[in-house]
Amino acid sequence: MAKNVDPLETMPVSRYAGLTRWGLRLIFAFLMLFLYLPIVFMVAFSFDASQTPSFPIQGPTLHWYDVMINNRQLLSAVGNTISVSLIVAVLATIIGTMAAFVLVRGRLRYPNGVRIAFTMPIMVPGVLIGISLLIFFSRAVHANLSLMTVIAGQLVVTVPFVVLIVASRLQSFDRKLEWAAADLGASPRRTLRHVVLPLIAPAILAGALICITLSIDEFVITWFTVGNQLTLPTYIYTKIKFGVTPEVNAVATVMLVATLLIFGIASVVLGRGRRRLPGRRRRAAIPPA
Amino acid sequence: MTAEVVGGVDVAPPTVASRGRTARLRELAPFLPAGLLLGVLFFVPLAVMFIFSLWTTNANLDIVPTWNLDNYAQFFQTGAYVRTLAKTVAMGAAVTTICLLFSLAVAYFLARYISRRWARVALLVIIVPFWSSYLLRVYSWQAILGEKGALNQVLLSLGLISEPSRLFVYNDIGTFIVLTYVYLPFAILVLYASLERFDYTQLTAAQDLGASPSRAFRYILLPQIRPGLITAAIFVFIPILGEFLTPSMVGGASGLLIANLIQTFFKNALVPQGAALGLLIVAFVTVLLIIFRKYLRVEDVYARG
Repeated sequence: MAKNVDPLETMPVSRYAGLTRWGLRLIFAFLMLFLYLPIVFMVAFSFDASQTPSFPIQGPTLHWYDVMINNRQLLSAVGNTISVSLIVAVLATIIGTMAAFVLVRGRLRYPNGVRIAFTMPIMVPGVLIGISLLIFFSRAVHANLSLMTVIAGQLVVTVPFVVLIVASRLQSFDRKLEWAAADLGASPRRTLRHVVLPLIAPAILAGALICITLSIDEFVITWFTVGNQLTLPTYIYTKIKFGVTPEVNAVATVMLVATLLIFGIASVVLGRGRRRLPGRRRRAAIPPA
Repeated sequence: MTAEVVGGVDVAPPTVASRGRTARLRELAPFLPAGLLLGVLFFVPLAVMFIFSLWTTNANLDIVPTWNLDNYAQFFQTGAYVRTLAKTVAMGAAVTTICLLFSLAVAYFLARYISRRWARVALLVIIVPFWSSYLLRVYSWQAILGEKGALNQVLLSLGLISEPSRLFVYNDIGTFIVLTYVYLPFAILVLYASLERFDYTQLTAAQDLGASPSRAFRYILLPQIRPGLITAAIFVFIPILGEFLTPSMVGGASGLLIANLIQTFFKNALVPQGAALGLLIVAFVTVLLIIFRKYLRVEDVYARG
């Protein structure tokens, strides 16, 4: 054996090493099947001629996409979903980022208590948030249920995500960079704008994307707080109760492709931003506080 | 700042804005919108729900303010309710266990056998299904597990069963399979985050000192990824306590869980009873959150992919 071989590499290999490797590969393959089977069916049924998304398969058609485009109710539900999710994402990102700064840097009296309080809406089951909001809106403040109450309800579960994600990024933020900027004569506002925000931008963007995906697919809270308008998930739910027609699968397929595109574009944009920022590698070497 | 503690760049420059009450108010102002939102739209509604839980309904289903804990007592005295609660906890425990085992294997595979670059791609592929409609994905399971579903057709054509089985859906098994499907990716993300940080030369060292691979795994690896295991368990177990969609879609009449019971109370205009049961769950979740507060790494679960 050559002298310069790393002694760690000459360790005896377990008899079962090959077996373990193949076992794990098999488990991974099973995982992929498990995760993608429902998706494959969901997409496949949108191209199938049978009247309900179920077996037997009848043959390929684009009929359901045609039906989808002409279904006014469905399209207005999609429109509602998109506008609600955009409003929720913008508001939650702004409100949450502001709060994250105070949580990490302000001298709040009970920071750990505040952290748990913000974790609660994420962990408390949505059905309870939805019901308590319904009682609150209808019996306590007598508000009319509408898309506004949906937005309010969704903010309750999205803002905490932004707060916690941005806070975790701020926690590992190297404050010397800010002090250096101040030392070089930058005003606090200028430091925030040109030093802090660009560096925590990935976390803010991640928070915003999570808000959009959560909001687009949010059913439970929406179901309890929505008036007579429909969002896509509540539309799908009413359809499921009375029998789904595959145009719903067509919409879901289109939305999946759209989300993939958004995430693809976002990661390309983010990747480019990353390359433009020098010193990223050095920052990464500093362990989080 | 006194002169003795000058430590070059490690000392924060003194700030003027940190003195006085108005300055403090200004410092806390950015927190107000989020604080108010959480207070008014989360804690106040829960408080309102608590008040309702102390009231009761009369024969006409009108709500009567009575101020007692009868609704809570009634829940624990009704055998069927307590059984549903016990079943929900058991279901949560079962799904959590299988998710941890399954995701430990997958995360270990990704962290150890695959290059980091491809592991990240794999994680992305694992999350992608979650960007499409939850309702439709669960609905698709009916087409897979149902009597005429794909699983039955495969088993029939393989000759493993002679007639279509109704065992897979509209019962506890259906709920179990689909809940595992829904929560598995979260567990994988968390455990991968732990296993990626682990220094695998430790395993080699342990074996060098005479440990068998399984012993090294058991006594060196597992203790070090315990926080990750706990985080994963929390993020699978707690949401299941409030799952009502999956059981109502694939659980049939026998597979219903505690959240379905809450919904039934409200559907039948039994607001005080539903509120009491709901608050019991909120209290349970809150206690778990406080006990496991160190492990609530939301950013590990959601901001890694």
